[in-house]
Amino acid sequence: MAEVQNSNPTILNVADLPTRSRSTKKSGDYDYTSGIFAAVPNPADFLSSDSEDDDLLEEPIDEQEIFDLIKLISDPEHPLSLGELAVVSLPDISIKPTLPNVPSSPLQTVTVLITPTITHCSLATVIGLGVRVRLEQSLPPRFRMDVRIKEGTHSTGDEVNKQLGDKERVAAALENGALMQVIAKMMETCR
Amino acid sequence: MAQTNSHLTLLSDLTPPSLERTWLTSPHPTLPIVATCSSDKTVRIYSLTNFKLLSTITGGHKRSVRTAAWKPHISGESVLATGSFDATVGIWRRWDNYGTNTNPTEDNLAEDEVDAEDEEWRFAVLLDGHDSEVKSVSWSPSGMLLATCARDKSIWIWEDLDDGDNNFETVAVMQEHGGDVKCVSWHPVEECLASAGYDDTIRLWREDLDDWGQVACIKGHGGTVWFLDWEGVDASPAAASVDLQRQWREQVSLSGPRLVSCSDDRTARIWRRVPKESASAAALSSAATGIPSIIRPTGTDENWEEDACLPHAHELAIYSVAWSRRTGLIASVGADGRIVLYEERFVEGGPNTDPGAGAGADSEAMDTTDDAAPSPSSLRTGWSIVAVVDGAHGIYEINHAAWAKRADRASESAGTSEEEVLVTTADDGSVKNLDRIEAAGTLHWQDPVLK
Repeated sequence: MAEVQNSNPTILNVADLPTRSRSTKKSGDYDYTSGIFAAVPNPADFLSSDSEDDDLLEEPIDEQEIFDLIKLISDPEHPLSLGELAVVSLPDISIKPTLPNVPSSPLQTVTVLITPTITHCSLATVIGLGVRVRLEQSLPPRFRMDVRIKEGTHSTGDEVNKQLGDKERVAAALENGALMQVIAKMMETCR
Repeated sequence: MAQTNSHLTLLSDLTPPSLERTWLTSPHPTLPIVATCSSDKTVRIYSLTNFKLLSTITGGHKRSVRTAAWKPHISGESVLATGSFDATVGIWRRWDNYGTNTNPTEDNLAEDEVDAEDEEWRFAVLLDGHDSEVKSVSWSPSGMLLATCARDKSIWIWEDLDDGDNNFETVAVMQEHGGDVKCVSWHPVEECLASAGYDDTIRLWREDLDDWGQVACIKGHGGTVWFLDWEGVDASPAAASVDLQRQWREQVSLSGPRLVSCSDDRTARIWRRVPKESASAAALSSAATGIPSIIRPTGTDENWEEDACLPHAHELAIYSVAWSRRTGLIASVGADGRIVLYEERFVEGGPNTDPGAGAGADSEAMDTTDDAAPSPSSLRTGWSIVAVVDGAHGIYEINHAAWAKRADRASESAGTSEEEVLVTTADDGSVKNLDRIEAAGTLHWQDPVLK
């Protein structure tokens, strides 16, 4: 990158970013949903009276979890995370059933709206691709990704959205070594 | 309304499956075999007689194999063209001595050892020319021409010189598309090519005095056009009256086979060429109204209009449509994991019938004839959904569907040699064979048992 496009971005304090712990504090219970116990099912799930299919015991994935998956992705041009730069934010993430008319369908659509730091950021596509790749690699395949530029925040938003929504282009990008190096670098801070 | 419901039931998975995403399955024009393209850089050849893997073509492509097509009208040998994200097109050859045998694993064992070399797919030639991912390949009806298209926005037409030396000559390069060309598909009998892609358009191409040029550009979809398929030349909607069918054929012979397209905009549409005579009549009428026509058809220009928009049935992008040349049924598949079957029927009643009156979109015939269309009301047709299969590949997106002649033993014993199967290809790498059964009642879907 020859030149930094946005040399003075607004930065949020990491401590101010939304986390799950704040909401669970009120009950005083141990926080089962984070840290090394994340993989251990909450006993409450087993105690609940619903005794339907086994898959229903699968821990539901919510917006906070999606945010946690992508907030630590590094910006390609700043040593800062997408969460700190408010490129991704909790209110701009939503999860909806993909087929609302088929109640039995397990398909869910995750929509992530991206707010580039400047309206003409040429890296918007790379950032969007990074978010999409991160989610595809982390979430079960029953999720459909809908990663888009938030309306009105980018000069060529529609163009970027069309690329990010094109399954074939995304698949081809994943086989592009140079591009994947950039994406891998952005992901380094996620682990 | 008397209505037959078509049922799709799972016949079999093709095993063993690819462990990665599969993009497309191409049924052989004559043999009961199919070629499945996979992200694992290989092409798998499966038998439709026993649904088992016959061979795997490896080592030709450096990236995902996206597309494949069998060359028609050759005997004694099979020729397969493959297109890959590595920007190349591969041509593969193999002598025809398998696939027709119902039990190749046992009967051909000894033969395998003797003719090991003949069993192999021979890499013939690599067609180099595209700058980026090849997305679709298609052989012309004669098998002389091969069309290829890529993300580089270009369509190449190659001539198979058939000189025994695997030489191909570049006949034309067309660059009118404004984005990735996602699909190329030849007319079933004429040397007319249809293409579609990322610029939301469908274009038609013909050769005029040695030069390939665009003869039509159809704008109508509101998103990337993913796939195209042509109607068969002898197709006609199911009708009780022979007279109706005869009239229909007369009408169709003027405009030729129709084209079906599907898109990211979640619609599938049917397009019809306006016969030359009525096109000039339209120009005359525009002259009469005093509104100048900006379209000035030259000798080769064609006017295509929307014939129908298939009933809405998909919640996400529709990736593929398949128009059966035997039954006239259309199948569509997409990101929502659904398979939908549509059937065309003659619609009773005059032009004033309100097609949107019914509430149930699933069974309601959609009006397909424009109010202005001059066709007699007796020839009005409508498309209805006759089957929907949700989650046909579980939670996975379905990338492609194709009709093939049924070839397994069960069909032979039942004496239904003309029965068709729908072969669908999905993100989980699986390829499924669906059997279409005509029956009344509710839709029955059997879970995959072989997985």
